[in-house]
Amino acid sequence: MKKTVDVSIPVGPVHPCWKEPVRIKCETRGEHVIGTEVELGYMKKGIERIMQGRPWQEVMFLAERVCGICSVVHNMVFIEAMETISEITPPPRAAYLRVVVNELDRMASHLIANFSYCYTIEHETLAMYLLNEREYVLDMLEMITGNRVNTAYMIPGGVRYDLREEDAATLRATLDRLEENLRRYTKMFAGGPLIALRSKGVGILTKEEALEAHAVGPTARASGIAVDCRSNHPTYQEIGFEPVVRTEGDNYARIMVRFEELMQSIGLIRRALAMMPEGPVRGGGECKGGKVRYSGEAPRGELTYFIRADRYGRVEEIAIQTPSIMNIDACTHYMLKGVISIADVTSTFISSDPCIACNER
Amino acid sequence: MTDLLQKLKNAVRSRSIHVAYVDTGSCNGCDIEVLACLSPRYDLEQYGIYVHNNPREADILLVIGCCTPQWEDKLKEVWEKIPEPKAAIAIGNCPVSGCVFNREGGYVNPPVSKHIPIAASVPGCPPRPTEIIRAVLSLAPTIFADYEEKKP
Repeated sequence: MKKTVDVSIPVGPVHPCWKEPVRIKCETRGEHVIGTEVELGYMKKGIERIMQGRPWQEVMFLAERVCGICSVVHNMVFIEAMETISEITPPPRAAYLRVVVNELDRMASHLIANFSYCYTIEHETLAMYLLNEREYVLDMLEMITGNRVNTAYMIPGGVRYDLREEDAATLRATLDRLEENLRRYTKMFAGGPLIALRSKGVGILTKEEALEAHAVGPTARASGIAVDCRSNHPTYQEIGFEPVVRTEGDNYARIMVRFEELMQSIGLIRRALAMMPEGPVRGGGECKGGKVRYSGEAPRGELTYFIRADRYGRVEEIAIQTPSIMNIDACTHYMLKGVISIADVTSTFISSDPCIACNER
Repeated sequence: MTDLLQKLKNAVRSRSIHVAYVDTGSCNGCDIEVLACLSPRYDLEQYGIYVHNNPREADILLVIGCCTPQWEDKLKEVWEKIPEPKAAIAIGNCPVSGCVFNREGGYVNPPVSKHIPIAASVPGCPPRPTEIIRAVLSLAPTIFADYEEKKP
């Protein structure tokens, strides 16, 4: 059948719903979207090229500036990759502290993703509730690491600062408060009839399509694929970890997966605090040469660093694979195809939690 | 009488500021700090600051990021769309100096003041939301007071 296109509507690059520049060209017939094309490349800064030939002490700070939203996980994956090359094992207390900080960062990222979705479907009350909860999570990050964003908390052989006993008590109290509030907001989202109208059955990504597009992270887990790199991480295995999976594959499932992972993160932090042994947090060590391919689970999915370092710990070659590129591809090729209205294009795109800064670097 | 009217106008103008922001290649850190200003804890709207992304109804443009070459002409276009009186604020280290990206091999073209006139800058990587709000609030009266009497 011949494809008849009424009009091609560009969405972006500067758009009220999007915080970062990206452009989507929608081919429409009436209100139906029959095909979309994404145009990237407004934010290319060449971070990988800057990293080449620099010592790990400088690359460490560049790595967390790949993405400001999930800066902790970029730091963690780079440092653990360098530790794998140099055969350094962090002290057990430092390994648990890494999990605590990483899960706090994941909570902040998921809260801002759900905030963006609620803001896009014009449910501003829930959006503001979620954005306010994020401030409490960032307070905890600031208390432990000293900064809200771009924390540079992890170093080869440990972490920078220890967690004091009174700070741990504050963290536990904040987690109790967060859990209570988030349970209420999850109920609001799950039971809202108007939210269901905008979310259920919109932007469906089936399991086969998700496998074909190599979707990762919450986008894949909402389509019934149980992939999570945290299952392979030794500290998470000690704590006990099961990925959250839903099977619907629509916008509603993707947001609910993030809400459930927020509760899961609270549980992981509690268990990490309980299991954390006493002892030093900096073990020391020397960065050596070698090459490695190391993956970790970012809030948006699998994050992979390929690093080749020389014997002084200088990074000779580096390649970063961020999760957003797969999810943007899955979104534009499968989710947005057959969306019944132009109004759903922005909300469906936001529901896959695209991070353009990660993506283009 | 005219003095009183003018004072009233200036008081109103300093409490009605429409803000647009443009991301010219940041790491997202400053983006989410601008976004965090919307949250009830900082509550931008109690100062009369409204965040749109529409340059045609904006008074102040927040420039975030280290200005990649793709943005050079587009940033000028966005700046020309804003009606007078207008001002631009650079948020973060990136628009001021390029921060960590202004090195050998980087694909950036800082500072942003080469491309559009910058009235104020808030350094920091990233600056706190309170600092961003304070910059907007302290800049607004100096730009918008008595603007009909100012010579172009």
